[in-house]
Amino acid sequence: MISTVAQIIIDLFHYLFFIYSISAIISYLILAYISAIETIEYKRKNSFVNYKEIMSSNISPSISIIAPAYNESLNIVENVRSLLSSHYVNYDVIIINDGSKDDSLQKLIEVYDLIEVDYLINEQIPTMPLRAGIFKSTNPAFEKLIIVDKENGGKADALNMGLNISKSKYVACIDVDCLLLEDSLQKMIKPFLEITDRTVIAAGGVIRISNSCIVKEGKLHDVNFPKKLIEQGQILEYIRAFLLGRMAWSRLNGLLVISGAFGLFDKKIAIQVGGYDKNTVGEDMELVVRMRGYMEEIKQKYKVAYIPDPLCWTEAPDNYKIFTSQRNRWTRGTIETLRKHRKIGFNPKYNILGMLSYPYWLFFERMAPVIEFVGILYFGILIITDKIKWDYAFAFIILAYLFTVFFSLIAIITEELTYHQYKKKGTGIHLITIAFLEPFVNHPFILYAAMRGNFDYYFNKKKKWGEMTRKGMAKA
Amino acid sequence: MNIYNYLLDYINDAALIIQVAWAMTILFIVIIIPLIIYLKYIRTHLRTQERSIAVYEKKYESYLINYLYAGNEDEEISKEQQVIINQLKNSVQEPYKRKILISVLVKLQNEISGETADSIQQLYFHTGLLQYALYRLRHKKWYVIAKGIRELKQFHIREVQDEVMLHINHPRREVRKEMQLYMVNLFYFEGLHFLDQLETPLSEWDQIQLLGALERLQSQNIFSVNSWLRSSNDSVVFFALKLAKIYNQFDSVDELLKLLHHSNEQVRIDSIGVLSYLDVLEAKEILKLDIAHRSLDEKIAFFKMMENLYQKTDEEFLVKYIHDENFEIKVSALKIFKKLNKEKFESLKFENADPYFLRIVNFLENN
Repeated sequence: MISTVAQIIIDLFHYLFFIYSISAIISYLILAYISAIETIEYKRKNSFVNYKEIMSSNISPSISIIAPAYNESLNIVENVRSLLSSHYVNYDVIIINDGSKDDSLQKLIEVYDLIEVDYLINEQIPTMPLRAGIFKSTNPAFEKLIIVDKENGGKADALNMGLNISKSKYVACIDVDCLLLEDSLQKMIKPFLEITDRTVIAAGGVIRISNSCIVKEGKLHDVNFPKKLIEQGQILEYIRAFLLGRMAWSRLNGLLVISGAFGLFDKKIAIQVGGYDKNTVGEDMELVVRMRGYMEEIKQKYKVAYIPDPLCWTEAPDNYKIFTSQRNRWTRGTIETLRKHRKIGFNPKYNILGMLSYPYWLFFERMAPVIEFVGILYFGILIITDKIKWDYAFAFIILAYLFTVFFSLIAIITEELTYHQYKKKGTGIHLITIAFLEPFVNHPFILYAAMRGNFDYYFNKKKKWGEMTRKGMAKA
Repeated sequence: MNIYNYLLDYINDAALIIQVAWAMTILFIVIIIPLIIYLKYIRTHLRTQERSIAVYEKKYESYLINYLYAGNEDEEISKEQQVIINQLKNSVQEPYKRKILISVLVKLQNEISGETADSIQQLYFHTGLLQYALYRLRHKKWYVIAKGIRELKQFHIREVQDEVMLHINHPRREVRKEMQLYMVNLFYFEGLHFLDQLETPLSEWDQIQLLGALERLQSQNIFSVNSWLRSSNDSVVFFALKLAKIYNQFDSVDELLKLLHHSNEQVRIDSIGVLSYLDVLEAKEILKLDIAHRSLDEKIAFFKMMENLYQKTDEEFLVKYIHDENFEIKVSALKIFKKLNKEKFESLKFENADPYFLRIVNFLENN
């Protein structure tokens, strides 16, 4: 009797695994199909866009670029120069020096001729107080630059200070080390100005990896494909996520996350919902979910837009220690956000957000590593107890691997047919090779980091941000 | 052979799910191999295409320069020019080459003016490119229509205005935008009459493009915007408000004042901004009467207006707002109050102990 019950449980376990895997595969295929439609549509529409008018128009809306910086002395001067090189006409750059212990502020004062100024802050969101104060340049060439030196309060706190300081209608929240292309702001602002049947509350862009790329005077000069497998694997991962995943969610108006590296927000709504949450390490995703939830609650039509053009380039981890630390944080951020907003999940009141986006993130982002880990454990137990059916295992492992390779190749082809960023001869073979190797070189570490993230979330509450050692982009 | 038979027997004897898994595996292998070949092909193709485009561009540029220099005053088209036209006519028949030729023509058209620009337009007629653009206007696909209109705009083909206007309320905004830009670029302010018939929204983006096109025009004679200020299409009203501000439409003040009671809140806010810009004191007096019942954003816009249009008689009214809950209103009210009565403004420091309030007063005192 007991063995029959145990067998039923084991069978049920098998069926659940099977159904989960099939659902995941089907969902990826559906998202890839929708992405393809959206990408074609976007490219077609974009061929009729003239960005020059918005660049020079006096009536273009104002945008503040808010970039928090903590101990970024190594690259801060170059990074600020890059942020100041936008072609958009109506913008300013607010650098929040978040209690850095290095000489970041001193360097900025010297290079940009800064002086302390009297500034009236509208404290709509509580933040840590100012430290040395607010600085502006005496050099008219840097009139768009505002430096805020405050006590350390973390990235979310620094961004909130930026929201309080900004006098613009829109805010672009970015990582200070990100390299923005000169036309980034006009491309990001377009959906806010173009969509008339609903309010665009936020827009996110594609993040590209700048490792091995050549940067000249704060501008991207030459795109190179890095040599290290860990970096190549991340490039493939980003292409897959941004071109085949988020593009589809954008079409479904179900985008739940805008990368903290570069996102544009309607400032009024961001402030109305209370700004960034200081108690999460996934503040970027959390803010988007909160803003969406708010719009659903007030029953106002809205959209979170997505721009697939490669507008923002950032340095990715080039060693497994930092890589796992970053992924650990992403996992904790996802868990925190989904838990905090659990009332949204499966709640028809929140429409697509509650009935599609949230469940998808819960099952296929939040739960995926856990289920994979349990599957590996179960596989190990079966091997030890000699109960494994090798013909089943072998067939399904090969099938899963080939599907991953197939999906990566589709992502690479999409990239080639749309943006074709890695033009150099010989890169094609590297891209194909990494499609075959990535499941072995990066995925095990991602799984490990995700499981560590789960462990840290439940048993190591003190853990906050990991560390990212900057090397700086290669200069010409 | 033995291995093959063994595998065949194994598959035949295996459970259905295993058979399906292996069938899928074979399917993926069959798909992946062509995908790899395709990937290699497109990378090579893209590189080759880039080189090929550069070659054709150079070739057509050289044709066009020869064409421009081959003209003479006696003939509309010289013999040398006719030879070049015939050579280009052959290229026009192939869509790939036609696309490159058009891009070269557009580039040249943007760089030159006067008689030379007219010659380029003549060339556009004589090579038969115009027929292709007109054919596009009747196409089923929206992006083909939009490309056609854009091309007609780039080559200043004014004669097809009626056909282009048919797309005024096209369901795709890209087609509408190209139609609008065609009208404004070719007929200047007169072209704005499409606004009378516009039923679809004119986005902010579209408005910026149109204003950019108008700004480049030499003629600054604008028609009255009054009818557009009365439009039932709110987006047309927004656009008219921008025109009224940019082109200082003092004749429209009466219509602008009526908009202070428009049903759309944003129209009311934008009207306040324009009336403030035009220094219409009457607007301030109208708004003072019912400002307490208006929305927060209207109040903020009104106080911004007050910063520009304040009078000594406003002091009593302003005192009510220097302790307003809203930061912007409070700052605006204090700013004006300082200008109206500096002595009383300075005394505020001693009347209120709220550090937040004092910080604003101190800031305004020093700035």
